[in-house]
Amino acid sequence: MNGLESRRTSTRSILWTALIVLVVLYAFPFVYMLFTSFKTPIETNAIPPTILPSTWTVQNYITALSTQGVPQSFLNSLQTAVISTLISLVLAVPAAYAVTRYRTRLGRVFILLALIMRMVPAIVVGTPLIVIFHNLGLSDTSLALAIAQTTISLPLSIWLMASFFEAVPDELEESARVDGCSRLGALWWVVLPITRGGVAVAAIFAFLASWNDFIFALLLTSVRAVTTPLQIANFQSQFGLDWGTMTSLAVLYSVPVIVLAIVLQRHIVAGLTLGAVKG
Amino acid sequence: MTASTPERPATRPAAPGTRPIPTSGRKRIRLTDRRFAALLMLPAALFLAVFVALPLLQFVFNSFFRYNPIAGSPHTFVGFGNYVRAFTSAEFGNSALRTVVYTVMVVTFEFVLGLTVALLFSGLGNRSRIFRTIFLYPLMIAPIVAGLLWRFLLIDNSGIVNQLLYEAHLISSPNQIQWLSDPNIALFSVALPDIWLTTSFISLVLFAGLQNVPGEILEAARIDGARYPTLLFRIILPLLRPVIAVALIVRGVDAARAFDTIVVQTNGGPQNSTNVLSLLVYNTQIANGNPGLASAMGTIYLIAMMGIAIIAVLTIWRPGSDH
Repeated sequence: MNGLESRRTSTRSILWTALIVLVVLYAFPFVYMLFTSFKTPIETNAIPPTILPSTWTVQNYITALSTQGVPQSFLNSLQTAVISTLISLVLAVPAAYAVTRYRTRLGRVFILLALIMRMVPAIVVGTPLIVIFHNLGLSDTSLALAIAQTTISLPLSIWLMASFFEAVPDELEESARVDGCSRLGALWWVVLPITRGGVAVAAIFAFLASWNDFIFALLLTSVRAVTTPLQIANFQSQFGLDWGTMTSLAVLYSVPVIVLAIVLQRHIVAGLTLGAVKG
Repeated sequence: MTASTPERPATRPAAPGTRPIPTSGRKRIRLTDRRFAALLMLPAALFLAVFVALPLLQFVFNSFFRYNPIAGSPHTFVGFGNYVRAFTSAEFGNSALRTVVYTVMVVTFEFVLGLTVALLFSGLGNRSRIFRTIFLYPLMIAPIVAGLLWRFLLIDNSGIVNQLLYEAHLISSPNQIQWLSDPNIALFSVALPDIWLTTSFISLVLFAGLQNVPGEILEAARIDGARYPTLLFRIILPLLRPVIAVALIVRGVDAARAFDTIVVQTNGGPQNSTNVLSLLVYNTQIANGNPGLASAMGTIYLIAMMGIAIIAVLTIWRPGSDH
């Protein structure tokens, strides 16, 4: 929309003001959470509330991290997210490739069904999964939790990878085949290197789906495999309204993915907008 | 679960070696492209069958029985009894209505806000880049964290939102608005973290869509003397229609399933005013120990959502088609 460049500067300054106001409002909740996590317990519950801490303290962080189970929960979250991302990619890449490269009727039915499964609420599959994992001897394990979370990310991964594969010209794969590559070889040696960015996008979204999941963790873990979102939620029920500790743990849990978002911004925006804009 | 099956088949016979090769006899059976494609899809299909379709069937199956897992009572087949109970209970109807109101509210707010931000980004061009980064961050935050954070922001007497509104002279006392304890507005209040988290999604999708609106069309309309509202409603929005549709469907489905943000803010209260279907199913199942009834409610909820989703997918997305 280059036309706006020539508009009067007053219009531009109104637009800028509106944008800055919106962005400040948008950023405020997290910034407030950040400030709260550095307040003393008394100040956290002060009436009226303050915005900036009058004295800065890291006491909340020490309390949060020395709470039993919290450090382990971080390891569990990370481990679960990594397993879930791997399962999601290993299953999604060949499936999406088959759907886009061979365009069979079966493939169309498959991707449609996968997308419909994306709409199933976690609460519906979650409770029967408790029994299924119990029978498999996987109760309260990171693997079981990762599998459950993959039911959310897999359809999305398939959809994302299918969109990326669609952009690869068929001729590329065909010439690799002429050169003696097997069909799987062509996928592995020719197509995947081109779509590395797409794999990264699918990986990020699978990782986030697992890292931020709450409901499957609530249903499927009890002691050993508990992830941090459960620990964060526990702070409010166990210790009344312990906002200081809760916010510090929430900050610790959110910062890695926010940093990830800033570093990988390009990929994330691509992933978010790809399917929709192509549609 | 690992994908052990698809790694090899390209170089090996399709049938596991038992069937004799009748005519050609000279070499391995060639795997047709169609079979190869099916084999590549097999692991993902199996995974979805075992961990989504099977639990789903189990869930629907449960809806025909009455039992209590905590008391260890036996399964009693009750036919459609649980469905009759679900349909005749006022709570189910009310929850369904709340779910619809919640979904429409979330999607409407997100669309209006998201479109405004997308138009601002687009109008300001490349210099808005840093703001786009800031706008991205709520998408990374866990819904559970967002729910707790907003609960903290909205606490009646010591919440910062009321305090700021009070200092801005918009309300006369810092506890005038009982965000989460007034049943009349609680459903709106619990929607705030959801709106905060995912308006960015709508903005970014619409912004990407706006990049594809040809500048010449806008220029031509402007030369013809079209004012901005005309431009927006007559040209930009109609061109964005497919993008808008997809964004709204994705968000609508997610909002209809909202659980994390609501459960930590109000757990359905006050006076059930935020008890949407996902919470009702969960609490009927876990807290009230009536999985049969919960499954019947969940099945109805699922069928309604699936119906809407399938219609939407078939008419708008047409995934995997040849365009």
